[in-house]
Amino acid sequence: MKLDRRFLLRGTCQGALAVIGMPFLDCFLDSKGKALAATGRALPTRFGTYFYGLGLTKQLWIPKNGGKDWDMTTQLKPLEPMRSKINVWSGLRVPLDDNPNYQHWSGAAASATGISPTKQGEFDSKSIDQQIADSISHGTRFKSVAAAAAGDPKQSYSSLGGANTLPAEATPLSLYTRLFGPGFQDPSKGDWKPDPQVMIQQSVLSVVAEDRKRAMQNLSAADKVRMDQYFTSVREAELQMAAELQKPEIQAKVTIPEAPPEMVANNALPNLRKTVPLMAKLGALAMATDQTRVFNFSVSEPGSQIFVPGDTLGYHQSTHEEPIDPVLGYQPRVSTYNIDNMELFVTFLKEMDSIPEGDGTLLDHSLFFAFTDQSFAKIHAVDGLPIFTAGGASGRMKTGYHTPGDGSAVSRVGLTIQKAMGVSLETWGKGSMETKSPYTELLA
Amino acid sequence: MRNKFLLAISTALFLAAPAYAASLPSQEVASLRRLTQEEYRNSVSDIFGPEIEVRGVFEPTIRVGGLQAASTTVLSVTPVGFESFTKMADSIAVQVSAEKYRSKLPCAPKDAKAADDGCTSQILSHYGMMLFRRPLTNDEIKSRVALARGLAEKQKDFYAGLRYGLASLLQASDFVFRKEVALPAADKKSYALDPYSRATRLSYLLWNTTPDHELLDAAQKGDLNTQAGLDKQVDRLMASPRLEVGMRAFFNDMMELDTFDTVSKDSILYPKWGSAIANSAKEETLRTMIGLTLKENGDIRDLMTTKKTYVNRNLAAIYQLPFSFTGEWVPYEFSKDSGRSGLVTQTSMLAMFSHPGRSSPTKRGVALMDILLCEPTPAPPANVDFSVVNDTSGALKTVRERLMAHAGNPTCASCHTHSDPIGLTLEGFDTIGGRRTKENGAVIDVSAAIKGDKFAGGEGLGKYLHDNPKFPACVARKLFAYGRGENSEDVSASAFKASYKAFTDSGYHLKTLIKGMASSPEFYGAPVPSVETTSPATKVATQ
Repeated sequence: MKLDRRFLLRGTCQGALAVIGMPFLDCFLDSKGKALAATGRALPTRFGTYFYGLGLTKQLWIPKNGGKDWDMTTQLKPLEPMRSKINVWSGLRVPLDDNPNYQHWSGAAASATGISPTKQGEFDSKSIDQQIADSISHGTRFKSVAAAAAGDPKQSYSSLGGANTLPAEATPLSLYTRLFGPGFQDPSKGDWKPDPQVMIQQSVLSVVAEDRKRAMQNLSAADKVRMDQYFTSVREAELQMAAELQKPEIQAKVTIPEAPPEMVANNALPNLRKTVPLMAKLGALAMATDQTRVFNFSVSEPGSQIFVPGDTLGYHQSTHEEPIDPVLGYQPRVSTYNIDNMELFVTFLKEMDSIPEGDGTLLDHSLFFAFTDQSFAKIHAVDGLPIFTAGGASGRMKTGYHTPGDGSAVSRVGLTIQKAMGVSLETWGKGSMETKSPYTELLA
Repeated sequence: MRNKFLLAISTALFLAAPAYAASLPSQEVASLRRLTQEEYRNSVSDIFGPEIEVRGVFEPTIRVGGLQAASTTVLSVTPVGFESFTKMADSIAVQVSAEKYRSKLPCAPKDAKAADDGCTSQILSHYGMMLFRRPLTNDEIKSRVALARGLAEKQKDFYAGLRYGLASLLQASDFVFRKEVALPAADKKSYALDPYSRATRLSYLLWNTTPDHELLDAAQKGDLNTQAGLDKQVDRLMASPRLEVGMRAFFNDMMELDTFDTVSKDSILYPKWGSAIANSAKEETLRTMIGLTLKENGDIRDLMTTKKTYVNRNLAAIYQLPFSFTGEWVPYEFSKDSGRSGLVTQTSMLAMFSHPGRSSPTKRGVALMDILLCEPTPAPPANVDFSVVNDTSGALKTVRERLMAHAGNPTCASCHTHSDPIGLTLEGFDTIGGRRTKENGAVIDVSAAIKGDKFAGGEGLGKYLHDNPKFPACVARKLFAYGRGENSEDVSASAFKASYKAFTDSGYHLKTLIKGMASSPEFYGAPVPSVETTSPATKVATQ
């Protein structure tokens, strides 16, 4: 066997550790380790997505005024406590070009990729969180983490492209275990030392990765992409272990709680009211301890199946079957579900805002992108999606603004976000949604 | 034993030797299939023994052409999935290298406190062949023996080193993907699977697990490339009770029983419902299907009409039967006036394709058309104006009335007339499969008409499906696609023509269909690779 450099390094250290038990700090605190240990390092800016289904009710949520002095509306009311930390867009277009309007999908996929999807349930490129993770996640334990509040790991809108969705942790316990279970290095523990087991596992991965060249042979073009993804995943596991060998640095004064109990996670609203804050808290802690810088969260699938027990229709069926009240001019029950969704959203944001960090909070050092599948769900309309961002991106994003309909494509928001996150790109989106114009007035 | 594996390796060398027209690649990977959770678990259990625990989560799959099996040729392994694979690999390797397992290993080291390359190589070759479903190459063994040696020497423990060698096999791409390799056929115009890939495809179809020693031996000897040799193995595998394991996996996929993983019911309206009932409902359907098709060797069409089923205490509550019997599961025959008819009125199908608080004729109709007749409901055309069915009056009271409003509109009708009639006949059953005759005080109309056929209720639907030749044809199409990991919608009927004829001639006996397919050349055929999409026909230098 050809011993590669990394193997030798690890092997030697491992030998020393296991046999003689000598101090390993010399062995592992390389230049990067010292950099991490140094004080005063700037806090990283984190990114996250928040997916909620079925939009809002046009008559009840759109503020009349744009700018910073927008008038509060019935359906945005739950967001009042976070008003100064969010931005709202009300009139964005989702031009689908020649593609069908895939119900409960086209709007969501277009928001997340700037591309009108060509297949139901699939993204035509990496989703925005993965594009940003490529740029900001170096050195963290997890490149990104996805979580779903309703118990279904498929409710993830974080994608490597096509059907390759990154599965979500679908209960508070599974999210906790992934983040703070085996492999987690608690920065508040004084007796931290690198786990020799991790180094051995790295050498196993080196052997697995050695198969790459042979494994790629004789594959069709599509299978090459899939095999390449497998080896990219191997590489990410190696990087994850490398991160676990670094002494973790406290980013915020937090205590990692005990594991949450097993609990029912499904679409019933009372259950979501329990899982959403718990999982948001875990995501916030993961970002505060730099386990990950990208946290994707979904509260339901598109075409949200949220229901209040006793309501035989539930949210999605109500959007299609509840008559529009002739006096009110909208669907009253749907409207209630809309507000429930905004309440869950603000619960999430409050958790992000509850962790103090430097001169502000975790939310101030983050940027969240909240999006949905439909504007008027009854007719599967996508123009005018209610879109939000939250958090100041460490001062790079101005907040507190409502941007009313100006005929822009939804992709302008995605481009603005990436600019704020420091991703270097000039255009984003495809077809009619290709844009070179971020909302410069919102960028600081 | 070691000689045998060296022989196996030399066979692999022979198979990979150039014997092809200059313009065509010497081999192609016909399909790359990510192991399903069941395939993984069964394989580990059969390779290392049922005492080995597999603890971990698997990435979700999706359905392509009605089958999860077809998505395994589309999906890759994400970082989340690999993280899980790598942890499971180590956990399995720890168990296999543990003290109490050691007597099962093919050899013991000369000194348990030192490395022993010979023994490591023997163990890794032994398990590697079953994990990769082919002999390992010299390089594959060498790199792992070196890994194990290094770690064994440092920890002064042979088994510590072995653990990591094994773990590296268990997370290798060659294990987590079933790589099916095709070679040019004798006529140089088509491709067919190589012997080990044949063994793999056959074994996962019939037993849902990795090929056993006898099958791998048959592959090594070239027997699977002769009709007699193939027939012998197909007969052997079909005679085993493990055929049930394989067919349960197929039925589970075809009937979309995994849908239950995410079904929730309204606990106020349906307090009876719980995951125990969901699991029982799934089991009822599988028992019914296995019982009729394999145990009784019956006519598969009778699955649509039979009154026979299997119930346990949970289901007795749903079906409102007195649970007076002892034992967990008992066969049960519904009475003539029960309104029940085969699979279509089982709790599984009725509950999976409903809303949490109410039944859904559309969901049921769409699902049954797709699952049983291979007729997926088309997606709505681009930019449908759904506002034409906007109902502002609130005058429509029943589900049927609301659906009829759709069907009355030409744009909506194209889809809704396709699936709704089937669903409406099942309105006599609530969202958890309980029987009812009235909804909100009104008698439920369970009649339907499809292209001139008029029928009513679950029994009428069962009879309609029983007599519809599309049902057995759909089973055949899905089985063929399932075995090959293909989109069932892309499978040409001519690909399984002969086995389908045998199936119909036999009176729709599933075993005849399985046997016909599994021993047909078409099942192992592969398309000729296009030169553009295939890497140059370079050989693996070290082979």
